[in-house]
Amino acid sequence: MFLQQLLNGLTAGAVYALIALGYTMIYGILGLINFAQGEIYMCGAFVAVLLLGTGQVNFYVAFAGGMAAAALLGVVLERVAFRPLRGAHPLVPLISAIGASIFLQSLALLLFGPLDRSFPIQFSFSTITIAGLPVSSLQGAILGAALGLMALLVIFVRYTRYGKAIVACALDRDTARLMGINVDRMVSLTFFIGSALSGAAGIMMAIYYNATYPRMGLLPGLKAFSAAVLGGVGSIPGAICGGLLLGVAESLGAAYISSGYKDAFAFAILILVLLIRPKGILGGRGD
Amino acid sequence: MLTLKSLQAGYGRLTVLKGISLHVRPGEVVTLIGGNGAGKSTALRAISGLLPPFKGTVEFNGTDLTRLPPERIVSLGLALVPEGRRVFASLSVAANLELGAFHRRDQRQARRDLAAIQERFPLLRERAAQPAGTLSGGEQQILAICRALMARPRLLMLDEPSMGLAPLMVNQVYQILQELKDEGTTLLLIEQNARAALKLADRGYVLETGRIILDGAAAELREDPEVQRAYLGKGYREVWE
Amino acid sequence: MIAYLLHLAILGGIYVILAISLNLIVGYAGQVSLGHAAFYGIGAYVSALTSLLCHFPFPLAALSAIIFTGACGLLLGLPTLRLKEDYLAIVTLGFGVIVDLVFLNLDITGGPDGLPGIPAPSFLGVSFRSPWLYLVLTLMVVLLTLGLTYRLVHSYHGRALRAIRDHEVTAQVMGINTPAYKVAIFTLAAALAGLAGSLYAHYITFINPESFGLHTSILALCMVVLGGMGSLAGAVVGALALTVLPEILREFRAYQDLVYGGLLVGLLIWRPQGLLGRGKLSLKFISRE
Repeated sequence: MFLQQLLNGLTAGAVYALIALGYTMIYGILGLINFAQGEIYMCGAFVAVLLLGTGQVNFYVAFAGGMAAAALLGVVLERVAFRPLRGAHPLVPLISAIGASIFLQSLALLLFGPLDRSFPIQFSFSTITIAGLPVSSLQGAILGAALGLMALLVIFVRYTRYGKAIVACALDRDTARLMGINVDRMVSLTFFIGSALSGAAGIMMAIYYNATYPRMGLLPGLKAFSAAVLGGVGSIPGAICGGLLLGVAESLGAAYISSGYKDAFAFAILILVLLIRPKGILGGRGD
Repeated sequence: MLTLKSLQAGYGRLTVLKGISLHVRPGEVVTLIGGNGAGKSTALRAISGLLPPFKGTVEFNGTDLTRLPPERIVSLGLALVPEGRRVFASLSVAANLELGAFHRRDQRQARRDLAAIQERFPLLRERAAQPAGTLSGGEQQILAICRALMARPRLLMLDEPSMGLAPLMVNQVYQILQELKDEGTTLLLIEQNARAALKLADRGYVLETGRIILDGAAAELREDPEVQRAYLGKGYREVWE
Repeated sequence: MIAYLLHLAILGGIYVILAISLNLIVGYAGQVSLGHAAFYGIGAYVSALTSLLCHFPFPLAALSAIIFTGACGLLLGLPTLRLKEDYLAIVTLGFGVIVDLVFLNLDITGGPDGLPGIPAPSFLGVSFRSPWLYLVLTLMVVLLTLGLTYRLVHSYHGRALRAIRDHEVTAQVMGINTPAYKVAIFTLAAALAGLAGSLYAHYITFINPESFGLHTSILALCMVVLGGMGSLAGAVVGALALTVLPEILREFRAYQDLVYGGLLVGLLIWRPQGLLGRGKLSLKFISRE
């Protein structure tokens, strides 16, 4: 029972972590909380579901298509809703992001209707027993894919030219420009990558809960945001740890304390941790 | 190769540079000296594109830089070592150097340049994997200079390379600049430490409250009574040396 | 039609109080709160419960709401206001979500069904059941709130607050006790939001958690930013605009939220300092560069 809850928590947590990475990267480079991240997550799920619904493409193409659509939406969002507001008071882009979030949610409502959509293909669940613990192959696949994407991101940021350039922009924008780095382009790239990850997270959750609906991004978005802060905003390992920790805490809290307060545990833990470590668990880098 | 014509720049409504004109010829080391708030850093920020000038022009090898963004200006061959070094503290020393060559198309050649620089400054090879923020101030200054060199600039501009460094480190940094000069690198050097700068430079300009009040060969400036009084602290020289 | 306009006017008045209280935190103390509706909700529930269970008359119920929400603000503010702005945003957001869930899960608050039958105010021999009288009551409270905040903002303390907003470290160096000020303003703002909640509960006479969720917090923040942070008139205009706007957009039916979200983004791009803001805040950006 305990181990099963732990595994459930890790699965949800890995998905939170994927979204949290988007928050943390965008915060790192722009100092902006992208409130519409949850809608990007929703967009990924919807596009994948629609693509599969046509019956023309296989699952992998649909998955890639969902990620690409989410990435594109992120880039467009930055151009339209954030770039014109650079230099304004930090709350202004925050409200703009909220406006964009309302806009995208109602757009999805208009296009897809308010009802849940089930995932067009059913995966055959098999349950493997690992060390006496029953593991659903679906959970295993989600966990594996999420961790794989995170590993790819870490490799990209640590070892590639563009990854280092993004970090440089986050650390010191003016000096990055003196190196010949086009900051606007790096911001777009950051939105592209962060949004693609959120889109992937959306598709995974759409499969996991077998439900896709316009408001699906709201709570995961908020929790992922907490996860990013919990780990220390701007820190990539922090976002991953924060996401996993919140997922596990939420799952255990709902199982052993009260299921009615399931959505509160993530925030309660966040508040407690911030009171002890105001910069998050792994925070303080650069700042 | 670099020509400034009555350049005006500032922040908001405040005009710091009230129209300065100067030029740098290929192979030359030129210094711009002046006290705190004279507008030295503003001048460099305006040339490098970080601060769009109000009026006047900056021309580099026949190209008008006045309205270009910094990332374009670097690719034209004009690199700046910013004030206070500004290394990317949490990135490794090697990554800092690589980023210096970010805009270059010949990344293979850039990797060879990196090896050559590490050859020349073993310190940067030994500490290659270490975060740049863990280096000492002088080491960071050397890193910042090498990072700018990675861009293969035709003109290297330095903003107060001796600022905040121990005297021994100042000597070491200036030793490097002397070597660059001997190799024929064109330098535009901004300094409060007029003594060190005038020793290295061929020519100099003296900036005071946003205007150039004096210019000439470095040797002449060194002997100028006004410069000696204001910037070289004549009479105290014996005590310091 | 008149009844409908009256309803809008009363609701608008209540939102004005809510926006003014949030503007104290955002526009004058420079802190971000994404959970202001929690105080609004706590005020509504406390006021409703004290009148339903203890049969408090309205003034006493409203006073309990003010004191209780003020105490909540103090308790939340004491440990959290030393956090940086962005962290405070998420802490207040979390607080809002938690309070919302508490309303949903407690027995005393009636869970998702909420509390029906809250008595309309009746004191000094006057019953405020009629919307006209309620409007008068609301306007009186609005004027009182405006007067109080105007006095505060233009006092020595108001200048101290603006100093904190513009540059906290400098304010500290000048001898302003910044933590004390921030906690005090947060407490006051929470208490005012509680008052707004009390007015709301006794007007609608039925409350449930839906009215006090995240979207209300966000609505209040939008009012402040849209009107112009740090401007009292801005908070009033922002609150009224965002009360009326959805009503106008009703014509668009299904497109209502779409247009609403789009307008919000568009307005900010057009006037980043807000409708009545003086754009002073953007100077911060220049000095930072």
